Amino acid sequence: MTAAIARKPFRRWSVLPGFAPALGFTLTYLSLIVIIPLIALFLKASQLDMASIWRILDNPRVFAAFRLTFVASAVAAGINAVFGLVIAWLLVRYRFWGRRIVDALVDLPFALPTAVAGVSLSALMARNGWVGALFAPFGIDIAYAPPGIVIALIFVGLPFVVRTVQPVLQDFEPELEEAAATLGADRWVTFLRITFPALAPAMLTGFALAFARAIGEYGSVIFIAGNRPGLTEIVPLLIVIKLEEFDYRGASVIAVASLIISFSLLILINLLQRRLGEHHERG
Amino acid sequence: MSGDRRDRPALREPRWARWAIFVGGIGFLVVFVVLPLATVAVEALRKGFDVYRHSLSDPDTVSAIHMTLAVAAIAVPLNCVFGVAAAWAFGKFDFRGKTILVSLIDLPFSVSPVIAGMVFLLMFGLQGWFGSWLRDHHIKIVFALPGLVLATIFVTLPFVARELIPLMQEQGTDEEEAARMLGAGGFRIFWSITLPNIKWALLYGVLLCNARAMGEFGAVSVVSGHIRGLTNTLPLQVDILYNEYNMVGAFATASLLAGLALITLAAKSFLEWRYADQLALTRR
Amino acid sequence: MTIEVRNVSKSFGAYHALKNVSLTVEDGELMALLGPSGSGKTTLLRIIAGLDQPDSGEVLIHGQDLSKQAVRDRRVGFVFQHYSLFKNMSVFENVAFGLRVRPRHQRPSDVEIKRRVDELLGLVQLDPFASRYPAQLSGGQRQRVALARALAIEPKVLLLDEPFGALDARVRKELRRWMRKLHKEINVTSVFVTHDQEEALELADRIAIMNAGQIEQVATPSEAYDRPATQFVSEFLGFANRLACQVENGVARVGGFALPVELENYAGDAVAYIRPHEIGLARANGHDIAKATIDSIVALGPSARVDLAFGDDRLEALIDRERLAELGLSVGDDCAITITRAHVFKSA
Repeated sequence: MTAAIARKPFRRWSVLPGFAPALGFTLTYLSLIVIIPLIALFLKASQLDMASIWRILDNPRVFAAFRLTFVASAVAAGINAVFGLVIAWLLVRYRFWGRRIVDALVDLPFALPTAVAGVSLSALMARNGWVGALFAPFGIDIAYAPPGIVIALIFVGLPFVVRTVQPVLQDFEPELEEAAATLGADRWVTFLRITFPALAPAMLTGFALAFARAIGEYGSVIFIAGNRPGLTEIVPLLIVIKLEEFDYRGASVIAVASLIISFSLLILINLLQRRLGEHHERG
Repeated sequence: MSGDRRDRPALREPRWARWAIFVGGIGFLVVFVVLPLATVAVEALRKGFDVYRHSLSDPDTVSAIHMTLAVAAIAVPLNCVFGVAAAWAFGKFDFRGKTILVSLIDLPFSVSPVIAGMVFLLMFGLQGWFGSWLRDHHIKIVFALPGLVLATIFVTLPFVARELIPLMQEQGTDEEEAARMLGAGGFRIFWSITLPNIKWALLYGVLLCNARAMGEFGAVSVVSGHIRGLTNTLPLQVDILYNEYNMVGAFATASLLAGLALITLAAKSFLEWRYADQLALTRR
Repeated sequence: MTIEVRNVSKSFGAYHALKNVSLTVEDGELMALLGPSGSGKTTLLRIIAGLDQPDSGEVLIHGQDLSKQAVRDRRVGFVFQHYSLFKNMSVFENVAFGLRVRPRHQRPSDVEIKRRVDELLGLVQLDPFASRYPAQLSGGQRQRVALARALAIEPKVLLLDEPFGALDARVRKELRRWMRKLHKEINVTSVFVTHDQEEALELADRIAIMNAGQIEQVATPSEAYDRPATQFVSEFLGFANRLACQVENGVARVGGFALPVELENYAGDAVAYIRPHEIGLARANGHDIAKATIDSIVALGPSARVDLAFGDDRLEALIDRERLAELGLSVGDDCAITITRAHVFKSA
């Protein structure tokens, strides 16, 4: 018996025309715009030997920028996870006047240019701004301080958790909660043991998206941050400063480091999410 | 404020919890969405309507408007063609490695806009890979319109494709195959079968793509060189005016962009409401 | 424990789901709520469970009005149509859920919970599946988990919404038999909703037949079949031929036959329902009371369905195939028919 294992064909046969030109164009365009430039970035960074790379990264100002960026992004994404769930719940489960408008407004951060968000948030949170004035008497600065950065990052990440949780909650069978109720569980226990586990993977996805967005965010942050080196300077700003100093190597190393860290975090979250969602795929 | 559609007693939260959810959710949105919008309007009109109008007719601002429109007018159609081609290849055909390629399309979303601008600086800047060659041939890419367009295309690349791919996958190939059996050619199939099926989703993607293209800041900031009246787009103009402490000017310019955002939101909500069934499954 | 539904009404917007419904379910009884979709049967079941609030009327369980009591304090076992198993919990944890969420002072110990859950899983014959997840079970197995989960809280009454609705025909039949046996064993007052009359007739002690938000008849299966109380019941339960007729002096004239009816003080138009097996066939011999023409004959196992043209009406008769062969009747023949029984209702 000859075991001739047929190689899986590259593509399933189809009567429709245009596959080759469409795929060809797609790949060429994607390569020219995204892939090759990103590879060029990695090549630029890899021209340096490890010692030089380490010298660029092992710098208090760079370290402080990384720490600030990742901590502020995580805090902002965390706050968005909680309030995103609350807003999704509100939109799916409650009926109230103006619900459609509220639903539409959730997407504003996707539509509003980041520079606009930046200037208006910093005006709002400054000591003489509507919100900043409420905190100023207690000696709390929001704008031009780390809380301002978190505020800006909350703004840009706001829609992610709402938009990932909302459809899941919409499709969530209310009978599951009713079943828990008939078995004697109160509302809180039902939420903790039945509803929340079903929403958690979506929340985590939303968290990861908001987090990834926050790490790269530039426009909305630089206006409100104050941009003091070592204190309120974020990684993207540091890259821009290096570029303005024509230090392309330094900028590339920092950019690559930030890409690698955020991609690894995303992969980690992806794995975690897969474990969380294990029993939810079917049935 | 009432409970669930059918008002099922077992799904009702206690009164205090309902109010906490309502006040918490709405309050959060007021602080982060409504107040920033209101701030733009108030600051722009702080010195009256005439000053507002006057600052919008500033020549640098007018040239920024032109620049923004020019960039969007090039970047959006190109990404639109890309989105349709990608959706045709990924949505209508099955082949090995498809999943990975599809996920590559979303890559620009997870790259900082600053890095998106920077990669073009590395390639086409004076110190870049092609820098000296471009200089010798008197071609300007960065610190000029082509650079702004490239950076904008990078950050807005996924918008149209990610609306169309899931939709075309979901719609399957039955109708196109039927048309093929009846003897229709490729372009005929696309124009009279596929396009009518995806037109609202296409518009939806174009809308989002355009909003981001006109509003992009980080990526274009890196490649623009901030040359006034020449390579400034509206968001960059906001930045310049703000740093000059010209608050009315900055917020007046910002108000144009905020207006664009609100129009985009309204149009997007309208499409979601009216043509929900013709958008991808993820939209309601 | 008895269930007493008193004058319950419920509407959703302009739609009246239940109109002044009353019903009593006796202790230990297995009652079916049977009706077409939209008849209000599921709404009634959900109101008994406390999952919906009636607009008016009350529900007493064991003489106690529960309308003010939260669902979770009612101790009503409810099996949902699509089972609604908790997907993130194993079969064991699903069944244990109702015990684990009890307030601390009423909660059984872990050992006790394990014993009880194992016992229940034994009862529903799922002992080997304790550590599986719902996604890994077949439809019939999920149904049994849902039942065990509902029984774990030692419910005062057990309510089942279309318990076999989502299963294929073969599994459905098996489970039906098993369920009947189980009910005898545990003897909990139970109500189940179904649109499948065969299911109701086979399983239930009594059937409440519902239509358009009202209960048309409550009766044992044979009673409901033999003595339908309303036109709707005669039409809904099994097949019945429908003939227009005249009633006078307690006698209905149906196709030339005079049949005694219980409409004593009525004279005028009426409708008669005749079951297929209540129509007799014979060879035509020239002076018959009623004659019909055979349109088609369909063999159904040992019997045959004979479709008849009777004047302008069509009739279906059911007859032994042997008897049909003896008569020597075939398609196109004229034959004599006899009507032995009919259920007659005033024309609306």
